[in-house]
Amino acid sequence: MTGYLIRRLFQMIVVTLLVAVVTYFLFNIAPGGPLTGLRQQQQRLQPEDIARIRAKYELDLYWPVRFSRWLIGVPTGPITIGGTEWFANLPVGCYLLNDDNSCADYVYLAEIPDLHPAVRSSKGVLRGDFGQSTVVRIGAPVSEELKSRIIPTLELGLGALLLSLLIGVPIGVYSAVRQYSRFDYFFTTISFVGSAMPVFFFGLLMILLFSVTPVFLAEQYPWIPRLPSGLRTAVRGYDVATWLPRIEPGSFADRGLHLLMPLAVLTFFNTAQWSRFVRSSMLEVLRQDYVRTARAKGLVERIVIMKHALRNALIPFVTILVLQIPGLFAGAIITETIFAWPGMGRLYIDALNRSDWPIALAFIFIIGVLTVFATLIGDILYTVVDPRIKYT
Amino acid sequence: MKTKPFAFLAILIVAAMLISACATAPVGQMPGSAPAGEAASSAEDLSQPHPLLSDVRVRQAIAHCIDRDALINAVYTYVPDDVKASLRMDSFLPKTHWAYGGPYTDYEFNVEGAGALLDEAGWTMDENSGYRVNADGDTMELTLTTTNAQFRQTWAAVVEQQLAACGILVIRQHTPASWWFGDTTGLARRDFELGAFAWVGAADPGGRTLYACDQIPVPANNWEGQNGMGWCNEAASQNIVLATNTLEREARIAAYNVVQDEFAKDMVSLPLFQRAEAEAWSLNLEGLVTDATEYGTASAAAWSLADGGDTIVLGFSQEPASMFTLVESAAVQRQIAQMAIGVANTQYNYDYQPVLQDGLSTIESGLATNEMVAVAPGDMVYAADGNPVELAEGVEILVDGEVVAYDGTSELQLPQLVVTYKFKPYTWSDGTPGSIADFRLGFQIKCDRQSGATTFNGCDSYGTEADTLTNITFSDSALEYTIKYWPGVQDPTYFVAPFTIGDEPVYPSHLVLADGRNLADVPAAEWATLPEIAEMPLSFGPFVITEWIKGQSLTMEANPHYAGGTGAQRVTVLFISDTNQAVAQLLSGDVDYVEKATLGGGAEVQLVADAAAAGNINFEIIASPTWEHIDMNMFVKAQ
Repeated sequence: MTGYLIRRLFQMIVVTLLVAVVTYFLFNIAPGGPLTGLRQQQQRLQPEDIARIRAKYELDLYWPVRFSRWLIGVPTGPITIGGTEWFANLPVGCYLLNDDNSCADYVYLAEIPDLHPAVRSSKGVLRGDFGQSTVVRIGAPVSEELKSRIIPTLELGLGALLLSLLIGVPIGVYSAVRQYSRFDYFFTTISFVGSAMPVFFFGLLMILLFSVTPVFLAEQYPWIPRLPSGLRTAVRGYDVATWLPRIEPGSFADRGLHLLMPLAVLTFFNTAQWSRFVRSSMLEVLRQDYVRTARAKGLVERIVIMKHALRNALIPFVTILVLQIPGLFAGAIITETIFAWPGMGRLYIDALNRSDWPIALAFIFIIGVLTVFATLIGDILYTVVDPRIKYT
Repeated sequence: MKTKPFAFLAILIVAAMLISACATAPVGQMPGSAPAGEAASSAEDLSQPHPLLSDVRVRQAIAHCIDRDALINAVYTYVPDDVKASLRMDSFLPKTHWAYGGPYTDYEFNVEGAGALLDEAGWTMDENSGYRVNADGDTMELTLTTTNAQFRQTWAAVVEQQLAACGILVIRQHTPASWWFGDTTGLARRDFELGAFAWVGAADPGGRTLYACDQIPVPANNWEGQNGMGWCNEAASQNIVLATNTLEREARIAAYNVVQDEFAKDMVSLPLFQRAEAEAWSLNLEGLVTDATEYGTASAAAWSLADGGDTIVLGFSQEPASMFTLVESAAVQRQIAQMAIGVANTQYNYDYQPVLQDGLSTIESGLATNEMVAVAPGDMVYAADGNPVELAEGVEILVDGEVVAYDGTSELQLPQLVVTYKFKPYTWSDGTPGSIADFRLGFQIKCDRQSGATTFNGCDSYGTEADTLTNITFSDSALEYTIKYWPGVQDPTYFVAPFTIGDEPVYPSHLVLADGRNLADVPAAEWATLPEIAEMPLSFGPFVITEWIKGQSLTMEANPHYAGGTGAQRVTVLFISDTNQAVAQLLSGDVDYVEKATLGGGAEVQLVADAAAAGNINFEIIASPTWEHIDMNMFVKAQ
């Protein structure tokens, strides 16, 4: 096992580095960037202006140099050994281009401290510094931005995951045990609806039903409760219904009410998937000989289902479950957007749309690392849930 | 475990990366730039006349074939008919603009008339294919390039049908905005035949970079300029230069009239319509002033709630990237800055109104002079292209609106603007009275090349990069300073103090940062990273930012030191990226005001219009200064 873990650890490092190189390279060749749209503003732009803006985003440096600065924070200037500067005149980028795309003014290693001062540079992702946002929150540390979104993201993601597991797994088990019963048909239909209906449509439907319609009906039916349509908390106090006390902004009830609809939407979709997965996994296990044996031994059905069938059915389930870990961090882009939830998904999509590469890269890098770890955890958990599996 | 194939794959990918890096490194490849291979072909001059679009009859026929009212109907189903009529344009300026002198040739929808023009141009209808062909049998075919925005897909589909009815085959090319507006792709490289996009109009009509002969982007001028059509009409070009380098408004109107007239006659760009912008606010919100060229937030000091509430809630689709104006030019930043930093001038109704500035510094007011001064070789002057240069032989300068090359010896007289800008007393939100040092710091930072600003055209008109402040005299006793512009600078907006249009002229020079340093001592390069500037700036305006929860909300409290006082104690901005959500918040009364960029022009507006018709909210649609148009590129790359 130890040998296996060491090997896995080494592979994880390689995979993580590959993820870093590939994503950085892809972003490098992707269209868009901080210079997009500059020429659409009615103003004169001199080549020097363009060069200065490029330099602001380190685009004057060759991409492997930029990548190295992003990953490990070097080079920050000439290498000094024993008071002597080395490679000071090594060109590491091009500040100003000629008309024919040849370089008119190279950036030398010695110029980096002036052109890219430490106050604006990253110490390197591997040292926990993701650099500064370039578009979404200009000049702010990326880590601060990510931190500001993590709590709302986990609140929604973890809540929806736990709820959907609590609801989905029993439904899946029961559907499998009572295959083709009315219960099974009913939840199969519901889960098909859940899997097929787009989140944005379901979300809007909820808003229309529980937030907008009660407003229009308020005069005639003031007792119909109205749920907040989105955001995490309210700004002003509000009434849900005439028969309920007024809700104060920031209170526990306020937070709960705001969480209700996005949580319901996500839970609904997750439940649909979990229940289907558990159902098919259970059906497969229930047909196994050892289940028949257990029943033949005269064990009560509850023990057969819970101990003999469910435990085995949950083995593939573990894989899917651990892979939810990066998903929890990534957030739910559509749900967050529809309900104006200040989560990670919205930050990421915003960063992508507006070409804020430091934020987008940090996000993908963290997701990459989490995925690698989740896979490892999944593999280790296999040995726990299925003693037959052994790593050597 | 199978590690070998994996390791091999890793080596392969890394090798591929290194090879590609080496290939692109010498040209300093950056994201969004053309691949190295394409650079050679894009260096070709666009000197060959377009086989179709270089013929004015074809361009005019295209204009006749497009029923602009139908386009407006297609995209603005919810807009009342009277507003729809006001959206249609026949010039590059809206009809309500002070420089509009029309009506100009309008090219009414006329398929027969267009057919006659096309027949005359040698493109006759081929009854078999339904499209026009020339004597060589070539089909009349054009590509219409624009972004993939839903709004543009809608009207471009109508254009495609309308041109097909005229016998012109249009191939629609909807590209990502990142390509179309990219730095070295799409529009920037004039890579289009018919190209559609929008310009944003303002109080000053500008236009020099769009319509002058020397503003045609070609490889030889390093793709500078915005005249993508390749339009060079001597009269129009001269007059656009004159119009943007003349101080008297009457003379400017006359010059713009010539440009607009030629623009319509030559039909190099078909103005389609002004965009309709909708905004909505609750019946509870009072004091909001809506306008085409000024944000509703400019009137925030006067806002109040009819029910006596103390917190006004706004819904914005965007969130500012920073409150440091030099690095963030988004509309949402401007709107919040208007409330929570302060404004020196407003721009209502395509014009300027002083707020912190104590009257506009016009020549008539006695605050400005424009005397002729003698200049000699070696003196700094303003060249014809709008750049400061040392006068020498061959330098092109503007004399009476005409571009003249200086011969190096003759005596030359150029007009020199000397303008005094005065300001009303103000107090920062921390209680410190404003001082002239705040203005000095403004110039120091805004003209510093390291501040992160995009251009320094303003600073360049009176200072050099080395020392901007040389030609500015700051008063010791009053809030005023005098700028001596370089001879030759004839900026028509001279009467508006620098950095007062979409910017703040002052920074709190007294401010001590959390780390103990004085703000005035912090290098400009660092300013964008300062929380005291980028997140919680001091304010001389009606409100001041007190809390900013990223991705969620921004709260402003009334500035107790604001001279005029405020109608509300608090304004909270909610960041709601989804329009449906914003509308739901508005309808349910959780949000008081949804501004134009947030409400947008989609289907949701209908719901708001219906609610307004039922008397539940206030709603207004304004013909915005942003206008859609189709540019016709008269040149193609040499084969």
